[in-house]
Amino acid sequence: MRNNLNRFRAFWRHFPAAGAINLALIILCILLIWELISSTIDNPSRYLPSPILVALSSVDMIYKGLLPSYFGDTLIRLITGSSIGLALGIPFGLIIGINRTSADIFYPVMNFFQSVSGIAIFPIVVIWWGNSDTTVLVVILYTSFFPIAFTVLSGVREVPMQYIHAARTMGATRFQVIRDVLLPGSMPHIATGSRLSIGFAWRAVIAGEMLAGREGLGWMIFTAQDADKTSEVILGMVMIGVSWIVLDHYLLRPLEADTIERWGLVQR
Amino acid sequence: MPAKLVVTDLTHHYPDEYTGESVHALEKINLEVNEGELVTVVGPSGCGKSTLLNILAGLLPYREGNASMDGVKIQGPSSERGVVFQEQAILPWRSVAKNIGHGLELKGVPRGEREKRVSEFIKLVGLVGFEDKFPHELSGGMKQRCAVARTLCADPAVMLMDEPFAAVDAQTRITLQEELNRIAIATKKTILFITHSVDEAAFLGDRCFVFTARPGRLREIVNIDIPREKRIWADMNNDPRFIEARDKIMRLVREEVLVSNA
Amino acid sequence: MNILQSISIGVQRRFGRQRLRKIFLGSIPFAVIIFAWFMNGYMGWFPPVFIPPIGEVWASFFLLQEDCPGIGAIVALDQRCLMSTHILSSLSRVILAAVIGLPAGIALGIVAGMSRPISKFLEPIGIFANSISGIAWIPLAIVWFGVGWKTTLFILLNTIFWLLFFNSMMCVRTVSRVYEQSVLTMGGSRWAVIRDVFLPGAMPSIITGIRLALGFGWRALIAAEMVGGDSGLGFMIFSSAAEFRMEEVFLGVIIISLIFLATDRYLLAPLEKWTILRWGLIWKPT
Repeated sequence: MRNNLNRFRAFWRHFPAAGAINLALIILCILLIWELISSTIDNPSRYLPSPILVALSSVDMIYKGLLPSYFGDTLIRLITGSSIGLALGIPFGLIIGINRTSADIFYPVMNFFQSVSGIAIFPIVVIWWGNSDTTVLVVILYTSFFPIAFTVLSGVREVPMQYIHAARTMGATRFQVIRDVLLPGSMPHIATGSRLSIGFAWRAVIAGEMLAGREGLGWMIFTAQDADKTSEVILGMVMIGVSWIVLDHYLLRPLEADTIERWGLVQR
Repeated sequence: MPAKLVVTDLTHHYPDEYTGESVHALEKINLEVNEGELVTVVGPSGCGKSTLLNILAGLLPYREGNASMDGVKIQGPSSERGVVFQEQAILPWRSVAKNIGHGLELKGVPRGEREKRVSEFIKLVGLVGFEDKFPHELSGGMKQRCAVARTLCADPAVMLMDEPFAAVDAQTRITLQEELNRIAIATKKTILFITHSVDEAAFLGDRCFVFTARPGRLREIVNIDIPREKRIWADMNNDPRFIEARDKIMRLVREEVLVSNA
Repeated sequence: MNILQSISIGVQRRFGRQRLRKIFLGSIPFAVIIFAWFMNGYMGWFPPVFIPPIGEVWASFFLLQEDCPGIGAIVALDQRCLMSTHILSSLSRVILAAVIGLPAGIALGIVAGMSRPISKFLEPIGIFANSISGIAWIPLAIVWFGVGWKTTLFILLNTIFWLLFFNSMMCVRTVSRVYEQSVLTMGGSRWAVIRDVFLPGAMPSIITGIRLALGFGWRALIAAEMVGGDSGLGFMIFSSAAEFRMEEVFLGVIIISLIFLATDRYLLAPLEKWTILRWGLIWKPT
């Protein structure tokens, strides 16, 4: 009897779908607790609508075509904003990583502007560009630029000296050293920094849409709260959480891991 | 002389981490360890030596058979049975002195007395001058010395040692073995010492328990009648008693290894 | 000339050549920005509603504080002492959230991390909570608590708690089981295991987690004050922007970043460095 139980446990540990079923059970548990709370409080549709209501509101929103369009808007903003941020941040990080003097010049000012969070400069950006897509993009750009620039900077600094010396003794020029040693050597950091930057950008998108009033998931939860549609607020929150998990765990993390494995300085 | 540790008909199964198949680790083990004796246990790898030690330490619950100390059934860890682990188990965030005094601290011994005892044991294991160093600043041999001192300092009635010198280099191992011998003379502790090295088993043990391949059974007990004071590696290779005991253990273990490979 | 030279040599000896060079080079961009800002005031490239003159920003600090009757009113968060009231109400929320949220997150994280089945169960919940924590909770918090300090405190606590809980749980899981066993065989109790093994073992990562959580928390707090607050620095810059008082917005932004920089650089970073020196060099969770 016990033997069978143990065998089942081990089978379960290595059963491919076990993780998914476990997860489903956890989600079910949470939904039950949620349902329980919502059925005991007063005025649940205002404070905590039951999961069924939330699901129904999602059906309604999908039927009207709102949810997909909001989702798409948010995603497009994230992609545009963070890709511009990365396109600017990576070269900038490389340049100041390679040249000591430029690092000494720019490091303190970058440090200062990084600590000015993107959300805090929002009111200023809104006055400069109004409630427009540009405003949201500028904020995303601002928040995603610094993390990537800093990680690339430290990545370039961490490339071991002996690789550079080895390339130099083989007659590499300054440019060749950058192309063949420093750039590939800092690839893992570029990957890590990109993931970090996109994470910051995601938060900035949501906040930006809320504050600048551009249609998207952040705007959706903000206006739904105004209109007293709490089920749509919760739906939006779940969408925000789930889409980030999917993006992070199934796209960004594997990409990062692959890059580190391919380019990593760790020898195995 | 009354037996300190008594194991009767101990049988143990555990589920394999991957397949879930029940692994038959120990089969009807009967053994006794007398007070003040140093007993070594050898056997092919996977024969359940470490399982036995974990059961004696109280870290592993068991159902079949009985393991007792001073006539009391072992049910959980106790400071009466100190363990020296194979892996590095001294706490990395405590200095050498604080690690060695940890057992006393847990017992609530006041600081003044604790420090006195700790310095005694630091002297005994030859770590004088390293009291305030942290484990990462020590060599592998010193770490194990510290681990031995930590267990000794808590003053357990029995010391259980799980291949403590397996991970140190050969030179250091010889020194550590001679030191353990010296400590056994000085403290008269009851020690159960698990090893896979035949030389070590013959050098240290008053008696050596040879285990069979899995499931582990007690195959034979080899007596080694060499006075503790005479046990020095430089003399051992000319000592017929040592050579005889070692060759006997070697033969038994080799037979078992062949069985387990077959 | 000799005097100048000897002064220069003296200064270089006192502070070190490399450091002086760094300070000099690092201050160039700041000088350029401040100079350009000054020039903008004189030349009028951008109207004051886009970039207020630097003098006005400086003056607005005192203007906001003008009607303040005295120290007693500052401490009592009197509405007449606008500047100090906004700063203190943001800070007090951070302190309150830190006092409640940090111990709760760490304690529950450690307890959860000690048991593998429990931590496996809570792992997905932690991941999910962390991925929506912060800003996305603001609308729901407004529904629950209304506009005001409760909402902002909730957002801050929510951000801090989940980050620390998850972080501590994962850290405790990496502490080797041999350490636990060794304490148990020396007669240690369950509590001794927590105190002597899990807590110190996870300490370097917990401190890093605290630094991270407070950084995220501060950002979330500013956002929460903007949308769902009625006081604090975030509220100040948002309401000033609505009335196009740009000098106050600039002032607020500068104060927000100075507070963050000061706490991060002079409180949390040294603390992190100290713990890593104290424990981390000795043992790093892998």
